[in-house]
Amino acid sequence: MKTPTLQVSCRDLSLERRRTPVLREINCAFSPGELTAVVGPNGAGKSSLLETLAGVLAPASGHIELGDRDATAIPAAERARLCAYLPQSEAPAWSLCVADLVALGLLPWGRAADRPQRVAAALELVDATHLSGRAVTRLSGGELRRVQLARLLVGDAPLLIADEPTAALDIRHQLQLMHTFRNQADAGKTVVLALHDLSLAARFCDRILLLCDGRLAAQGAPQDVFTPALIGDVYGVSCEFRWRDGVADFVPLDLL
Amino acid sequence: MQQNNNPALILLAALIPLALLAALVSGPVSIDLPAALAGGWHSEAGDAVILWQLRLPRALLAILVGGALGMGGAAMQGMLRNPLAEPALLGVSSGAALAAILLLYYGVAWQSGWLLPVLAIGGAFGAVACVWLLAGRGASASRLVLAGVAINAFLSALMALALNYAPSMFAMQEIVFWLLGSLANRGWDQLLLALPFILFGAVLLFCARNYLRALSLGEASAASLGFRGRRYPLLVLGGIAAAVGAAVAVAGTIGFVGLVVPHLVRPLVRQDPARLLWASALAGALLLLLADILVVNFVGAQELRIGAVTAFIGAPFFFWLIVSVRRGQAL
Repeated sequence: MKTPTLQVSCRDLSLERRRTPVLREINCAFSPGELTAVVGPNGAGKSSLLETLAGVLAPASGHIELGDRDATAIPAAERARLCAYLPQSEAPAWSLCVADLVALGLLPWGRAADRPQRVAAALELVDATHLSGRAVTRLSGGELRRVQLARLLVGDAPLLIADEPTAALDIRHQLQLMHTFRNQADAGKTVVLALHDLSLAARFCDRILLLCDGRLAAQGAPQDVFTPALIGDVYGVSCEFRWRDGVADFVPLDLL
Repeated sequence: MQQNNNPALILLAALIPLALLAALVSGPVSIDLPAALAGGWHSEAGDAVILWQLRLPRALLAILVGGALGMGGAAMQGMLRNPLAEPALLGVSSGAALAAILLLYYGVAWQSGWLLPVLAIGGAFGAVACVWLLAGRGASASRLVLAGVAINAFLSALMALALNYAPSMFAMQEIVFWLLGSLANRGWDQLLLALPFILFGAVLLFCARNYLRALSLGEASAASLGFRGRRYPLLVLGGIAAAVGAAVAVAGTIGFVGLVVPHLVRPLVRQDPARLLWASALAGALLLLLADILVVNFVGAQELRIGAVTAFIGAPFFFWLIVSVRRGQAL
């Protein structure tokens, strides 16, 4: 599988929903090989930022550049081949079998001769090979989430965006999934995740975007962003980060 | 979607010619089929006229109308991601019906075989356009349904008003019978009128097949897979309006086919909303042809209306659906 790379940047990105601003002048960049976590309190604009990056929502002002092109100039079908996106909640309407649902991730590429092999490889990445023939309506919440991730990984998109992919997963599958995203980034993909688990974000991600009220409160390496002062400002909690060999234990202490 | 040529679908397709043969020999008078066939199109022999000018166009119309209703139902359920959706939900049927009723009301419908179907198709398109405009830009499925319910309610009110002030018992009877749906006394004219619209609708739905596939994941996921903007929902709505509108225009409102048929064949296509379009067209054609065979073989004082027959097929289907849901199967 060839791995094209994609540099993504946002300039003065603003977004409105029902005439209420939800993102205000976001400036940031996502590079190939980098795993970025978007963190922030509920309602900070994490999902909105991800949906705008994925092209599901159109920005009110500002630009997104994919490579050296303005995203609005890229036709929808081509943009879908550049960027794979997994929403926060995605409920399949029909009782498709798992392999058929994963194959939907290949729709932007049309008919692919190696479709069964790709689907099998993607299912293996998320430890779901044994589910291949099962109906999606008969999966547990965590199984469904892993199958949806296989749908995200089945194509060739150089930009992967997932909204809270670890929610609903047990600790083993959370770790396995973060390893998968880490490997994807190491293979040259640009990976953007919205996460609530700050320990996972600190341990696996190269960069953190901290959002608050639609504004970018901070961005940078986990050690620079995850400080008790910044987290206290944004979340309103006192906390402690215990760093050991680049792995952070995040301990929330109390409300401020 | 793996292309496994499902034997059940092939069987379905193979049953249609058999049912067609059965339809050609069904009727109040028995005809000598081989002789009538040999007589040919232009023959003036009684049997040949019955075969070529009455039974064949009627049976072909049953196939065409049933196919359009089944396909329209599958498209509707796929677009709204709802197994209980049917084409009537968008006002297609009531738009066509209201236009037809107004013509019957003024008693000018039968002066020309073309006038009523043409206006009814216009009514179907008008109703869908109203629903689309009312739902507004970038409407979600639930907003489309809400707009459809509103337009449907308004059109039903107008129909009730038309019935209320029907100029004569005769006009009223004609309206009620038209609303029940029928394939009686339809000929090549109606067939040739509906055919291009239904084929056009099928082509539009074919162009939207991957959109329906992507929609099984949800609207945001479909957008991220490249199916963004107004183009795709418009393709589906236009396809439904053309196919179902033309079907209602020539055969009246025949209920339940669009609702029931996609359910029956969904397991045969591994729940794939795109292949469901064709499977539902096949099954709808077969179902309506069989229902019409029942109608022509039914002996009674009044002609049995095919809409009543499909309703009798549809109602038990829901009992079965409830039982299967209670057993823990997904809807």
